Amino acid sequence: MEKLAENKIIEDLLPQKFGKQGVIWVISLMIVCAIGAFAYARQLYYGLEVTALRDYVSWGIYISNFVFFVAISLVGSLITAVLRLTDVHWSTPLTRIAEIIAVSAIAFAGLIIIVDMGRPDRFYNLFTHGRLQSPIIWDVIVITTYLFVSLLLLYFPLLPDLKIMIGFKERNGKWLQKLYEFLGSFWKNKPAQFKITNRAIHILSVTIIPVAFAIHTVTSWLFATTYRPGWDSTNFGAYFISGAFLVGAGGVLIAMYVFRTHYKLEKYITNDHFDKMGKVVVLLALIYLYFNINEFLVPAFKMKKSEEEHLMGLFTGEFSPIFWFAISTSMLIPILILITKTGRKPNAAFVAGILVVVGSWFKRYLIVTPTLLHPFLPMHDVPTTYTHYFPTWEEWAIAGGSLAGALLVITFFARIFPIIPIHETIIEAANENLPHENV
Amino acid sequence: MKINENSRRDFLAAGLMASAALAGCSSKNPFTPDELGEVKPSGEMVKLLSVDGEVIEVDKAFLKPVPDLPSVSNDDARVGIPGKKFAMVIDLSRCKSLKKCQTACNHMHHIHPGQNWIKVYPMQESEKTAPYWQPTTCMHCDEPPCVKVCPVDATFKRKDGIVLIDSDRCVGCRFCMAACPYSSRVFNWEEPTIEKEVAHQPYSCETSVPQKKGTVGKCDFCPDMVRQGSLPHCVSACPNGVFFFGDILEDSITNGSETFRFSELIKDKAGYRLMEDLGTKPSVYYLPPVNRNFPFENHESEKAEEKKS
Amino acid sequence: MKMFKFWLLPMVWIIVFTPAILVGQTADKNTLSLNIKYFNDYNITHHLLISAKSKIEGKFQQIPNIPVQVFISSDANKANLIGKGVTNAKGVLLINIPAVAQAEWLKSPNQNFIAVSPATQKFEEGRGELTITKAKIKIDTTAGHIITAKLVALVDTTWTAIAAVDMVVGVKRLSSILNANETASYPTDSSGLVQAEFKRDSIPGDAKGNITIVAAVLDNDIYGNLNAEMVVPWGKYYTYESNFDHRTLFARRGHSPIWLALLAYTIVVAVWSVIIYLFFQIKQIQKIGIE
Repeated sequence: MEKLAENKIIEDLLPQKFGKQGVIWVISLMIVCAIGAFAYARQLYYGLEVTALRDYVSWGIYISNFVFFVAISLVGSLITAVLRLTDVHWSTPLTRIAEIIAVSAIAFAGLIIIVDMGRPDRFYNLFTHGRLQSPIIWDVIVITTYLFVSLLLLYFPLLPDLKIMIGFKERNGKWLQKLYEFLGSFWKNKPAQFKITNRAIHILSVTIIPVAFAIHTVTSWLFATTYRPGWDSTNFGAYFISGAFLVGAGGVLIAMYVFRTHYKLEKYITNDHFDKMGKVVVLLALIYLYFNINEFLVPAFKMKKSEEEHLMGLFTGEFSPIFWFAISTSMLIPILILITKTGRKPNAAFVAGILVVVGSWFKRYLIVTPTLLHPFLPMHDVPTTYTHYFPTWEEWAIAGGSLAGALLVITFFARIFPIIPIHETIIEAANENLPHENV
Repeated sequence: MKINENSRRDFLAAGLMASAALAGCSSKNPFTPDELGEVKPSGEMVKLLSVDGEVIEVDKAFLKPVPDLPSVSNDDARVGIPGKKFAMVIDLSRCKSLKKCQTACNHMHHIHPGQNWIKVYPMQESEKTAPYWQPTTCMHCDEPPCVKVCPVDATFKRKDGIVLIDSDRCVGCRFCMAACPYSSRVFNWEEPTIEKEVAHQPYSCETSVPQKKGTVGKCDFCPDMVRQGSLPHCVSACPNGVFFFGDILEDSITNGSETFRFSELIKDKAGYRLMEDLGTKPSVYYLPPVNRNFPFENHESEKAEEKKS
Repeated sequence: MKMFKFWLLPMVWIIVFTPAILVGQTADKNTLSLNIKYFNDYNITHHLLISAKSKIEGKFQQIPNIPVQVFISSDANKANLIGKGVTNAKGVLLINIPAVAQAEWLKSPNQNFIAVSPATQKFEEGRGELTITKAKIKIDTTAGHIITAKLVALVDTTWTAIAAVDMVVGVKRLSSILNANETASYPTDSSGLVQAEFKRDSIPGDAKGNITIVAAVLDNDIYGNLNAEMVVPWGKYYTYESNFDHRTLFARRGHSPIWLALLAYTIVVAVWSVIIYLFFQIKQIQKIGIE
């Protein structure tokens, strides 16, 4: 009985070749990436002139996209580390989804920051002339660190699965087989090996939490270390981290739904998972809402002159449509959907996840741009094009291309590796079959 | 005219002294004429005529327009002019927004059309308070927030108080622009249009010329002018004497025609600095716009309204 | 048909370009004026400043890149050429008076200078003249911080005191003179003298407390610009401690505050030793697998 179940699990969870839908999906992502690459080639040739960025709004959707990527990457630490350390087992099938989202998002966060640079050819200056006093250097350090920790956290639990996959030589084909063997031919399911891996995963789970907090806190400091209204806030680190956990959890909801329906994984990613993830998202949305109230109500109560223009721009001024759209789609509506039991059913939860992610993207835009349009001294002695900001097609294309690129990495990962940990699922299934532990 | 060996040496020494003075305050401490400062003799002598009609030899390096001004090395440009601490005083009571400062600055630094290092703001704190013109340069803060955040030492604070940008180092992250509360920084969004006579100039952070694509630029207090013994372009261009420039270690400040003792001027006219509460400690002081002998006329807003209607 | 085309091209050429050539030659040129100023530098060397100006669109503007030749004496011939150059970005050219001017300079107490610029594409030819009388200032001090300065000019062959010329007396500062007291300038008396009490108490001086006092005649129609300087121990030594070498958040690379460096390096070392340790653990797993 158990043996049969094991084979069934392996059969269900092995990575599958792209179907027709998969091919269309990959090709369309590649097209979006190619358009982004073309736009970036133009930007390299003509300079940042091709963007709508100017002296006042010197950071635009590249930076908000960067913040978005860093934010969404935090989910890896939440699902894998926090839930693992607190001995929550229902999240086991979601760990790899969360980790691969984290890895691809943090990699593209690094890329998009290079895209934003006026002189990407001098990127090496960050290493040869780096100044420890600059929060950008802190960011470079923590992002690199987080990438490595996340990769390790992706790799260790993969080892037993690699052994399983190496067993399917014909199915894999030459290249994949070589890749699997390169990565895990030494894994022999020995108890000593399990002992080391389990310990390593535990160490990583502990390590990744402060590192994850660091990446997003430091990212928030890129703004909070300046004097600008809307950024000059001691609340910023916590505000960013709570928002990051929310968008990451929203991303996981989407990924769960897509993998479940596409790969027919209903037995593994169950309604119960959506129910629990839904509750997690509600909790995170409430926390984020709390920090938003802090972030806006306190300065609005005082209405300092420098803050006033900025806040009124958000509440009732030119940014108010996006502001209220972002607040309601990233927090209010998802809370209303997911707070009900029917709302936590897969389809509704999927919609809520999309709302969270889209709303959060616009939220990042609102964190970056409106502040820059409200400098201390009024905008003056510049061409009129400098006094407002709407991204050019190149910016949209590059930002879109980077998002598509991140999705492409996740897609290819799911093609090559089991998106749900096979070995751990087998163990969990075995445990559930033991009558005593079921109580 | 024949000069014997002794008198010849005297002449030479005198000549050197004089030309060191000619080279202006560039390099040497103005109080110690016996020391020649850091201008190194080139060894190449030029024969000049003295006021008394005698022929004297002067080292080429000490001539006022040094024929090929040896450009300051990057290391020296990062330390600054020794023994100096520059400051500016802007007298708001004299400014009527003629913008000659801006024109001169833009012209001399070949700034991209539309962008300005010097901005002249029409200010009015509130409805009932007086409107006035406020020119702003880079404040050359003593605790510069822009320098704090620069990841690669591309913008730096020098011993002489000047905050400069090294466009050969800048990676174009624009963090400094976000950090500067005075909005004094501009960015070269595209390849700068460089005129022929500028293109061949070797870049130096002291001249900020030629500008480079993808890097940040801003007011540099014209250290190249100061090294030549002249005043920054905005100071000499202003017909109303709004801008004063000087070395606060000399406790003196000048607009070219008037020279004041810095400490007295600031005390008598109640000088202040912008956004003191931010703790940036600017090197630019403002004299309040009191006792103006001309009305505030904002033709710009009239023009803007005309355009609108 | 072919022949027609052959003739058409030069016709078009002539029609299009003839007016342009005509207009270009006649209408576009501006007049150019050259202005010469004479500077006596501390009674040792002397130089001329030639500035090129033109009225463009109703405003006088300094004109850069004008080639200028400067002659001594009233005769602009080659023998009297003392320098040539091109006006700089501010429309100014500086000429140090060279040794070759000696014979002409010694001829007379009055001296004439001529600056000439040839016609260029945009400007007509320019010319400027200046006549100065040779003069110099002698500076000295008397007890009680009094600066005395005497203006003498060459009359025939003798240096004669000159009265009623405005003189500025003060302390030498960054490209300026800070007046010795509230008085902006003094006229010389019948013996060519001015006296100024130095009232700039505790003005910063060098490490020995020395300051340089200066007496100067500025932009005088007859004598040009003259000055003389002298070092006196009337200043005060101020120590200025720059925070350039301090460890601050705004200092250069390698000068970060100790607390920041400690904090950052501790965290980096701690986390990366974990990462490196885990890489070794992977090696360990490999080893076990191969056994």
